[in-house]
Amino acid sequence: MKIVERFVGEATILDITGDIDLSSSPDLRKVLLRELKEKRTPRVIVNLIAVRYIDSSGVASLVEGLKASRDTGMRFALVGLSKGAREVLQLSRLIKIFEIHDNEEQALA
Amino acid sequence: MPNPIANADSDVMISLHDLRVSYGDREILHGVNMEVKRGETLVILGGSGSGKSTLLRTLVGLEKPSSGEIWLKGKNLASISDDDLDEIRRKMGMSFQSGALFGSMTVGENVGLPLREHTKLEDSTIEIMTRLKLEQVGLGGFEDYFPAQLSGGMKKRAAVARALSMDPEILFFDEPSAGLDPIIAAGIDQLILELKQAFHMTIIVVTHELASAFLIADQMVYIDKGVIIAQGTPAEMKANPLPRVRQFFDRVAEPEVEQEMDYLQMLTATHRRPNR
Amino acid sequence: MLAYVGALARLTSQAAYYAFVGPFRGRPLRLGRAFSQAMEVGVRALPVLSLITFFIGLILAIQGAYELKKFGAIHFVADAVAITMTRELGPLITAIVVIGRSGSAFAAEIGTMKVNEEIDALETMAISPVQFLVTPKFLAMILMLPCLTIWANFMGILGGSLFGVLKADFTFVEYMRASVSALFMRDIVTGLIKSVMFGMTITAVGCSEGLATGQGAESVGKSTTAAVVMSIFLVVVVDLIFTSLFFFAGGI
Repeated sequence: MKIVERFVGEATILDITGDIDLSSSPDLRKVLLRELKEKRTPRVIVNLIAVRYIDSSGVASLVEGLKASRDTGMRFALVGLSKGAREVLQLSRLIKIFEIHDNEEQALA
Repeated sequence: MPNPIANADSDVMISLHDLRVSYGDREILHGVNMEVKRGETLVILGGSGSGKSTLLRTLVGLEKPSSGEIWLKGKNLASISDDDLDEIRRKMGMSFQSGALFGSMTVGENVGLPLREHTKLEDSTIEIMTRLKLEQVGLGGFEDYFPAQLSGGMKKRAAVARALSMDPEILFFDEPSAGLDPIIAAGIDQLILELKQAFHMTIIVVTHELASAFLIADQMVYIDKGVIIAQGTPAEMKANPLPRVRQFFDRVAEPEVEQEMDYLQMLTATHRRPNR
Repeated sequence: MLAYVGALARLTSQAAYYAFVGPFRGRPLRLGRAFSQAMEVGVRALPVLSLITFFIGLILAIQGAYELKKFGAIHFVADAVAITMTRELGPLITAIVVIGRSGSAFAAEIGTMKVNEEIDALETMAISPVQFLVTPKFLAMILMLPCLTIWANFMGILGGSLFGVLKADFTFVEYMRASVSALFMRDIVTGLIKSVMFGMTITAVGCSEGLATGQGAESVGKSTTAAVVMSIFLVVVVDLIFTSLFFFAGGI
């Protein structure tokens, strides 16, 4: 898994490529908590379009990011969810809790 | 020996070649051949004592075959090292007939145990994952209960949550509906279908419940006295003309058609204590 | 029998591997479980062990006095009690109390887990039952049994002092002084070496009987009984071996 940061206005976009699994999700968690808790970036957008596979530790890391954003009053959004990722979020009843957009433009609007 | 089948077709998840398993000098499985494709739900059917549970136990590495091959993710379980077996087992989940939850731990600790043992994830991440898994099996909010405080159906669900905790590629179920009332059992079947849909897992179920089998199966095998005597899709199995299979599907009580002489022999044999 | 002892040795060496070698090979040791086992094996055994060894010390003093009186040597009763307790009865009685409390509990706990498919579940989760279940018990035992033995020695001497003060013209302080001066370091050390060996034996027997449990609830009862009988027998055998070893080989 690779995470590349881009800055668009006040927002930080995290472009993630590869698999988010048991070995890589701690890195994702670290980056999310750094952005949302320490740097207090007002808007964090996680771009998952190039993610082939996300396991439940990855989902849990996103949940931790979401919680941190609620605690600090920042905005946290996901874009580019695959069909599989959507189904996993659906089954865990998370689909309505996350701010989910189809593309970056929508998320930035 | 390389596995020609797994190389030729990467969609095959498990393949068995002439698998034989014995307890002591009694052979239980007499040469089983079968194949399971990735993402498929296979139901293993059979009466009690048919060897279906032994087959399942062998597939998860709890029994060593006396001969034959079990190819699973490119490795032959029959001749695998303990470390390699553990590596494969991290990608397997097994839901036991009794649930097999650890009574001294809460439901949440049970579900999180493999993660705590095998990963370096933060406790907070493991807790969220545990709650997610419990939510997925319909047990949200029960993480602080002890197994003894749960009903039979809830224990089964908790066991499924634990089997799911490492996001397995293959999920095994031993008699998922045994000992449950029909409504709760139907709930477990529904759960298996949902999991299959969401995670595209390969699922292997051992059962003798026909209704449940026809609901969840993509493929079925019927095992009798240690050999597979019929296999195919549910529709093919329904049309199978073999008397033993028909008997099982039509729920006819077993008439025990032993050979007459064998029967007479058995009745009149002079009594000998089995010496060991 | 030889095969049985071999299996015990194998189990012990596996448990020792996970306790002392595993942590350096990326298999972290879970000290929390060992700690709770140590509480169960050690601390909770204190009341009953104290009472038993106090009585044993008293009995030793009375029985010893019966013989010693014939030679007009009743003042040697303190020496007799102190040496018999630390070299022999302290470790042995402690072991027997621990067998009754914990050796049987190990077999029952692991046996119940076997019957409930929990051991199989551990294996399918790629968790070694030896590492998960046996190693914490092993650590708790080899740590707590020597501690309990020291306590048992002390309680035994205390029991002897009751007789000494009441019937042999000792003051309490004199009796304690006599006991301490009768003991050599080697008496205490041989007792403690024995107690570590007893601890390994009890863990190995309790756990392997538990793991060998067949099917059904009644087999748990069978394994528990077998664990107790076998442990007592093997502890006595180990005691004999080490006592002779100290006597014939070390002269101590």
